[in-house]
Amino acid sequence: MDFNLPILALDSMSPLLAAGGIAAPGLPDLGWFTNSILVAIIVTVAVLLFTRMATKRMETIPGKKQNFVELVIEFLYGQVEGIVGKHVAPKAFPLLATIFIFVITANWFGLIPGVGTVGWGPGKAALTVDAVSTPLLRPATADLNMTLALALVFMVVWFWISVRELGVWGSLVHIFGPKGGLVGALKYALMPIFIFVGLIEVISIAFRPVSLSLRLFGNVFAGESLLSVMGGLGKDIFGLSGFAAFLSSVIFPIPFYFMEILVGALQATVFTLLCAVYIKLSTTHEGEDH
Amino acid sequence: MEVVQGILEQFGFDWPKFIAQIIIVLVVYFILAKFAFGPVLAMLEARRKRIEEGEQNVKKIEAELAKAEEKVQAMLDEANKDAERMIAEARDSAEAVRGQKTQEAIKEAQAIIEKAREASRVEHESAMSELKKDFGRLVIDATSKVTGKVLDDEDQTRINQETAGQVSL
Repeated sequence: MDFNLPILALDSMSPLLAAGGIAAPGLPDLGWFTNSILVAIIVTVAVLLFTRMATKRMETIPGKKQNFVELVIEFLYGQVEGIVGKHVAPKAFPLLATIFIFVITANWFGLIPGVGTVGWGPGKAALTVDAVSTPLLRPATADLNMTLALALVFMVVWFWISVRELGVWGSLVHIFGPKGGLVGALKYALMPIFIFVGLIEVISIAFRPVSLSLRLFGNVFAGESLLSVMGGLGKDIFGLSGFAAFLSSVIFPIPFYFMEILVGALQATVFTLLCAVYIKLSTTHEGEDH
Repeated sequence: MEVVQGILEQFGFDWPKFIAQIIIVLVVYFILAKFAFGPVLAMLEARRKRIEEGEQNVKKIEAELAKAEEKVQAMLDEANKDAERMIAEARDSAEAVRGQKTQEAIKEAQAIIEKAREASRVEHESAMSELKKDFGRLVIDATSKVTGKVLDDEDQTRINQETAGQVSL
C-alpha cells in the first residue's frame, strides 16, 4: 500500500468498490481505526440523530418524522411479538429492533456513491489516484468485526433473556432434558440420547454467532465486490477506454444496484428474524408450542 | 476454537477493531432503547389506550342514545295513549251530552207541543162554549121574535141547555 501521496482522491467512476481486501483496512496513521468503524460511527450518529429529532417532542398527533419512526417501531414490534410472544417481546424488542435498524441502514449506506470509491492510493497528482487501495468509507457490515460484534452482543442479551425466563436450571433442562413429555422408565432410558442431543445443541448455539456474522458479512461484501466487478466490466473485460469505459461503469452495475437494495433489506431481516427465532426457541416453556 | 479463530482472522477479525465495533453496537442499542423505543412504545400504548377509551365512550354514548330514544319512544307511546284515551273520553262525553241534550230537546219539544195542544184545546173549548152561548142567544132571540113572547130566565136557561145539548160541533 503506497501512502506516499496520502491524499483523499477520487478513483475511477466505478462505484462502491469495497477495496482494501477482505479485511477492513485501518485509515492512514490511525491504527485500528478502520474505514468501516468510521462508517459505523456515521451510521450510528445518523440513526441516533434522526430518532432523537423524531422523538424529542412526542405528540399525540405525530409529525412526519415521528410518524415514520412510530410506523417502523410499531411494525417491528408486531413482528417481534409474533415470533417471541407477548411475554418476552418487551425484553427482546429493543435489541432486535436495534439490530434491524442498524444493519439495514449500514447496508444501504454502503450503496451511497463515494463509499468504497473515495480514498487513498498511489497517484500521480492531487485528487487523482490510479486505484483506491484504502477507501475512506467501507460499509460497516462489510467488515466481519462489525457483524461479529452484532452477533456477540445478541448472544449476550439472548443468554440473559433465556436465563431470566427459564432460570439456570431451567435452561439446562431445556437443552439437555427429556423432550416430548416423556415419563417413567422410558424417560430415563432415553436420557443419554437427550444429553447427546443437548451437546449437539450447545455446539449449534456456540456456532450461531459465527454463522450469523459470516452470513451478513459474506452477503454484503459479495454485493460490494459484485458492484465493483460490474463497474469495471467494460474496462477490464471488453477493453473499453475513455468515455465508453466511464459509461459502462455507470450502466452495468445499475441492475445489481437494485438487487443490492433488496439484499440489504433481506439480510437485515434474516439476521433479525434468526435472532428472534433463537430467543423464541430458548424461552419456550415446557408444554408450549415450539 | 483455533479453527474458528483461524477462519475469523482470515476474514479480517482483529480484537481492537472488534471491541470498537462492540462499543458502537452497545451505544446504539442503549441510546435507541432509552430515547427512541421507550418513548415511542409508551406513546403508542398511550394512543392505543386513548383510542380504546374513545371507543368505549362511543359505545357508552350509543347505549345512552339508544336508552334516550327508548325513553322518548316510551313517552311518545304514553302520550299517544293518553291522547287517544282523552279523545275517547271526550267523544264519550260529547256523545253523552249530545244524547242528554237531545233528550232534553225532545222533552222540551214535547212539552211545548203538549202545551200548544192544551192551549189549542182550551181555546177550542172556550170558542165552542162561546159559540154555543152565542148560538143559544141567537136561538132565544129567534124564539122570542117568532113567538113574540118575552122569555124569562127559566126559559132562556132551558132553551140554552136544549140548544147546547143538540148542537154538536
